[in-house]
Amino acid sequence: MENANGLEAAASVTPTPKRRPPSRLVRVEQRTAWLLLSPTFVILAVIALYPFAQVVYSSFTNAKFASSTETRFVGLDNYRALFAFTIKELPPRLDEDGEPVLRDGQVQYESWVSVLPRQPQRFRQVFQFSLLGKRYVLGAVSAEFIRAVWDTVVFTVVAVFFETVLGMIIALTLAGNFPGRGLMRAAMLVPWAVITVVSARIWEWMLQPTRAGLFNTVGSYLGLSEGRTDFFGNPTLQLPSMIMMDVWKTTPFMALLLLAGLATIPSDIYEAAKVDGAGPLRRFFRITVPLLRPTLAVALIFRTLDSLRVFDIFQVVLGNQRYSMASFAQDMLVSRRDLGMSSAASMVIFVIIFVFALIYIRMLRVDTR
Amino acid sequence: MRRRVKPARVVGQVFFWLLVAVIFVYLMFPFYWAIVSALKTQAELIRTPATLWPDQPVLTNFRSVLSNDRFVRAMGVSTLVASSVTLLSLVVGAFAGYALGKMRFKGKAPSLYVILAMTMFPQIAVLAGLYAVIRVLGMPAIPSMILSYMLFTLPFTVWVLTAFFRGLPDSLLQAAQVDGATLFQAFRHVLLPLTAPALVTTGLLAFIQAWNEYLFALTFTIIDPPSRTVPVAIALFTGEVARQEPFGEIMAAAVIVTVPLVVLVLLFQQRIVAGLTAGAVKG
Repeated sequence: MENANGLEAAASVTPTPKRRPPSRLVRVEQRTAWLLLSPTFVILAVIALYPFAQVVYSSFTNAKFASSTETRFVGLDNYRALFAFTIKELPPRLDEDGEPVLRDGQVQYESWVSVLPRQPQRFRQVFQFSLLGKRYVLGAVSAEFIRAVWDTVVFTVVAVFFETVLGMIIALTLAGNFPGRGLMRAAMLVPWAVITVVSARIWEWMLQPTRAGLFNTVGSYLGLSEGRTDFFGNPTLQLPSMIMMDVWKTTPFMALLLLAGLATIPSDIYEAAKVDGAGPLRRFFRITVPLLRPTLAVALIFRTLDSLRVFDIFQVVLGNQRYSMASFAQDMLVSRRDLGMSSAASMVIFVIIFVFALIYIRMLRVDTR
Repeated sequence: MRRRVKPARVVGQVFFWLLVAVIFVYLMFPFYWAIVSALKTQAELIRTPATLWPDQPVLTNFRSVLSNDRFVRAMGVSTLVASSVTLLSLVVGAFAGYALGKMRFKGKAPSLYVILAMTMFPQIAVLAGLYAVIRVLGMPAIPSMILSYMLFTLPFTVWVLTAFFRGLPDSLLQAAQVDGATLFQAFRHVLLPLTAPALVTTGLLAFIQAWNEYLFALTFTIIDPPSRTVPVAIALFTGEVARQEPFGEIMAAAVIVTVPLVVLVLLFQQRIVAGLTAGAVKG
């Protein structure tokens, strides 16, 4: 370590009157490093540069997908359309005598359709809330997009949390040596190995709203439900169902990475800690977690990034009932052929993902030096 | 060498095996459901309540999938594509991971961020542009899938391998340098063998990611149906009865394509957790 720091000190020579040229060794290391990195950058440049530039460009135009209409530069219009929102008070519904209508003792309110602006653009309800005894509605031009962003972030945070906890439990359990561990490690990867589009269908089948589905069948045997729970039709169950599917599917990714990380921790550290009288919990928090942090960070970053871009399961199972950010961008492109709006949505997704990545890298103190 | 068994130990063992069993059931039950569904007849498939094991297991679904030439061909294409992507990502990613994890140079942090940024656009966003690039390069479907899958496997491989290389003690590298090894030699003979578990792990994860990819494969094989990969082939299954989805066959196909991956894991699992540093670093 000392040696390496010395090298760096030599490399980053501060502008003193007489600059010392970096030593030969440092220059060789610099050149070798860039040589080793070059294949990665060449490949990524070939496949990513043009598509990325196109997304950025299209997001400022009114480009239509597969159409001959002329493309015009529209500035920030697409972004404005994605984010435009308004908050209006909802007046209580009044009967003929001018008294508020009550149902089950609850004040009834007018529909959001009557209060949200329709010109020049039509606003639709995202959600309603009460504040200081008054009822408000939050409306947006792209109500589905705002909801998609919220849903995707909730989906990601909850799913990644469970994946990390379960992945850690599985990795720790399978790390030891026991008969049948080869089989268990193979079993561990099965969910990850099942093709995503197919696993979405398996879950869809298991979660059917009749007793042809496993969950409703077992639920009715156990007396938990009447066997008609509509997991994908009931809005309050949609996100939890999606999270359940994603956690099952991607926990192996977490578990396998953590397992490999555990393998790099020298066992003699544990032996030494044991001799010093550290209990299992103490060993876990003082040895395993700190030494696993780099692996954990990478696993968390990639899981979170993937999860924020979730597409397949929303598209397959919920279709246009409810969107994730990426399935919204897809729907914009395929159903409405609005390449400009779709690209702007992708840019927003990019920025949200970048912010998440930065937070992780800072919080987990990923060493990027 | 156990002489006497302490009660606490027995409780621990029972708890451990219980945990293993719970994990096994959790991981496998949807797959179990796929197997069971594949063995059911169409009539039993839609019966309520669902049966937990088919009354009369039938192999018709498996037979019809395996006699489907397009599906068998797709297995070959998928194997070729996923293996090539994995190998390429590992080689290229190991170079980059070594540089980023073990060497000192200017521009390291920006490099890491730029590589990570590659995975920040949704696939759908880059699809059209990527298709244009492939057209300009005049590539056939299979190489273009291999190349475009690098967009998501390479950043992942680079980041994981960087973390693993960084975790290896510098002393090993210095010892190699003292012995007169060049940086390349130190990489090949000292660090690479030590990162075998990391390479196998990342390789498996990348292989499966490439094996499962759907959107790019669907787009790039539209004009070249013989190059379809497994996910595309399954998605395009048509039932014998018009307009009825062949769910049993889809499940049979899912089981058939998952088994080779399980065998792959069984073959490599010893490598995943070979007691890596314990032996090599001491002394």
